[in-house]
Amino acid sequence: MIKKFLAVLLVFAVFGCGQKKSDSGAEPEVSRKRDIPNAVYGDAVVVSMLGDATGLIYNITSDSASHDVAGKIYNGLVRYDKNMNIVGDLADSWEIVDDGKGIIFHLNQDVRWHDGKPFTADDVEFTYKFMIDDKTPTSYDADFRLVSKFEVIDKYTVKVSYNEPFAPALISWGMPVLPKHLLQGQDVKKSPLLRRPVGTGPYKFLEWKAGDSITLVANDDYFLGRPYLDRYTFRVIPDTATTFLELLNGSIDIMGLSPLQWSKQTDSNPRFTSQYNKHTYLASSYDYVGYNQKKPMFQDKRVRQALSYATPKQDIINGLQFGLGVEATGPYKPGTIWYNPNVKKYEYNIETAKKLLAQAGYKDTNGDGIVEKDGKPLKFELITNQGNSVRTSICEVLQKSWEKIGVKVDIRVLEWATFINEYINKQKFDAVVLGWNILNDPDLYDVWYSGNCGGQKLNFICYQNKDLDALLIEGRKEFDPQKRKEYYFKVQEILAEDQPYTFLMVPNALVAVSKRFNEVRPAPAGIGYNEEDWWVEKDKQKYSFQK
Amino acid sequence: MAKNRLLGKVKGSYLFYSGLAVVLFFIVLAVFAPVIATYDPTAIDLNNIFAAPSAQHFFGTDELGRDVFSRIVYGSRISLFVGFVAVGISLIIGVFLGLIAGYFGGWTDILIMRIVDIMLCFPAFFLILAVIAFLNPSVFNVMAVIGLTGWMGVTRLVRAEVMSVKTRDYITAAQVQGLSGRIIMFKHILPNVMTPIFVTATLGIAGAILTESSLSFLGLGVQPPTPSWGNILTAGKDNIMFAWWLSMFPGLAIFITVLGYNLLGEGLRDIMDPKN
Repeated sequence: MIKKFLAVLLVFAVFGCGQKKSDSGAEPEVSRKRDIPNAVYGDAVVVSMLGDATGLIYNITSDSASHDVAGKIYNGLVRYDKNMNIVGDLADSWEIVDDGKGIIFHLNQDVRWHDGKPFTADDVEFTYKFMIDDKTPTSYDADFRLVSKFEVIDKYTVKVSYNEPFAPALISWGMPVLPKHLLQGQDVKKSPLLRRPVGTGPYKFLEWKAGDSITLVANDDYFLGRPYLDRYTFRVIPDTATTFLELLNGSIDIMGLSPLQWSKQTDSNPRFTSQYNKHTYLASSYDYVGYNQKKPMFQDKRVRQALSYATPKQDIINGLQFGLGVEATGPYKPGTIWYNPNVKKYEYNIETAKKLLAQAGYKDTNGDGIVEKDGKPLKFELITNQGNSVRTSICEVLQKSWEKIGVKVDIRVLEWATFINEYINKQKFDAVVLGWNILNDPDLYDVWYSGNCGGQKLNFICYQNKDLDALLIEGRKEFDPQKRKEYYFKVQEILAEDQPYTFLMVPNALVAVSKRFNEVRPAPAGIGYNEEDWWVEKDKQKYSFQK
Repeated sequence: MAKNRLLGKVKGSYLFYSGLAVVLFFIVLAVFAPVIATYDPTAIDLNNIFAAPSAQHFFGTDELGRDVFSRIVYGSRISLFVGFVAVGISLIIGVFLGLIAGYFGGWTDILIMRIVDIMLCFPAFFLILAVIAFLNPSVFNVMAVIGLTGWMGVTRLVRAEVMSVKTRDYITAAQVQGLSGRIIMFKHILPNVMTPIFVTATLGIAGAILTESSLSFLGLGVQPPTPSWGNILTAGKDNIMFAWWLSMFPGLAIFITVLGYNLLGEGLRDIMDPKN
């Protein structure tokens, strides 16, 4: 406790030193500028993360803390813009050639690594070889293994070829490019770059205090222009309640709020309203109930449909999410081009649910309130992970609601590692409440393709449907978004009819951002996509740093 | 004469009476829970979440709109049940081993007491956490584990009492009559060591209730939607900034119950202590 308190004090002390900005400090010498009118340099942004990063080479880590930090340090060849269109990053432009089986990237010729060395096609080639090397401990190699040929055409041009058209190919090159001159011939697991990364991105690494904070400093030489904020600090605060208290103290600048904090603890609190703006937009994720298709009771789609009809989605959103979210009908985000609004919907209706169960042969013959078929009661275990109170509450609501149609549910809330390793990966569950992120590419192959049923794979509920498989394969090969859309509209119709999941809701992202930042503009891509453009007026700047 | 003296001490013991009153109050609450509770403790009302205490909901409602008063009333069943069963288990084991160790002495005694020493080396709560992590969290496992990790004190106590009782003349007389060890242990010694066992058991129930609450608070005890004071508190922790009733009422329930059993135990000890 005392330690924690001291740590808090220390942070105040460190930043406290620089609170008064002297006007004598001239504008920093910046070789490349961004073009926001009136924007000035200075100040810093402090954000929190629940756990420390594990390493700062993006390509070989998979925890969100590491990715959040490393995402500020590296660039890929392409990226998403604020409207989720693919635009060039390290690549200025690209051409799709060979009937969709090849991409030629034209690289930006004016990019330098943080150590001053120029960035060239060799770095891209190195990164490709690095990704497909069996010795590289990465989880993101699958897309790169589909590349049939990689050619360096000249110093700033590369060509990648595939055996057949592969629509997610382009965005797969959003993977950060790594510096060949620092990593070639090295054992990446022992590379000093894990602790002191060197990238091409808007921020350069400055300092890492293990378990406490990671600080980055603006890259004056960033090829897209130096960010206006001098520093970017990530602080490790392992608990959301503490994070919220820190927010009220003004010691962090951005926080994702819980629905409860958003609705009940902010507007009425002058310490919050005086310092922060709230931003909300639909998050890129959805929550669902997944039914293990290996269990006989879930193989009849009428049972799954009945459970969906008996799920009070709107009550869940209103009650648990404080209305901050929308009903999900499939695996895409409402409002995006892939979202099909005209699929079968499951309005809460106990009578329809009961009828469907009766049609499937389930009746309460012994009067115990639980329906049976062939003497077997419809009874199963619903599991979810600890640490997400909304999910636990969803389980309790479902248990109570499904009781009304004679389905008996036991709830089990499991610690995360046990949940994944012992239950999900081993397919040792009946039904699960969980969530997926919604990616921008509509490809659903990993989660829904029949062949991906099995332990450690993402189709862990083992839903298998030949028609769906065919659509998923075709969808990956099509580049034209309008044609591609048709495939995925049909995919959504099949999923809505079959209900292998009960799609619950797409929650809102609920973000508090300090009022002193200008240019904060939520867009379909979220809120952090243009952090390099954020700036603070001189008189409002909170932190200053000696050069 | 002796009986009157005991009664006189009972009359004068405020500790005993206040403890007894609290304990009886919660026993009545648990037994008549369906009559006393104003709502179904698991009934969800998502349109009425986090309602403050009022005439409709005496102790307010929780994050799913469930009535906190009814949940605490039903939660008292879990607490008492766990308390009595867990202490029952540790008494059976503890008394049995204590009797054997104390009566037979020698190698039997050394062996049993070393097992006790080994068991006492484990920090009890972490041992319980470890065991529960292997088993599934449920009321029954919680009771069993608390019982199986709490018998050592009883064994030591019983052994010491037995060692002093067995040197009495009436025990020698029984042995001379040729009665078997089993009969002497259970018919002649056990009734004479019961007094301190009662005191320990009463205090043990308080401890078991606290342990159950702690486990449920950590999500390893009673599973939702069954209400237990510990898991009501968990919801309280997340919302303590504005829904104070979720933390305060279950907290008070645990506090008062544990205090009640402790007072009762202390009172019993005073009454039965011949030195007073």
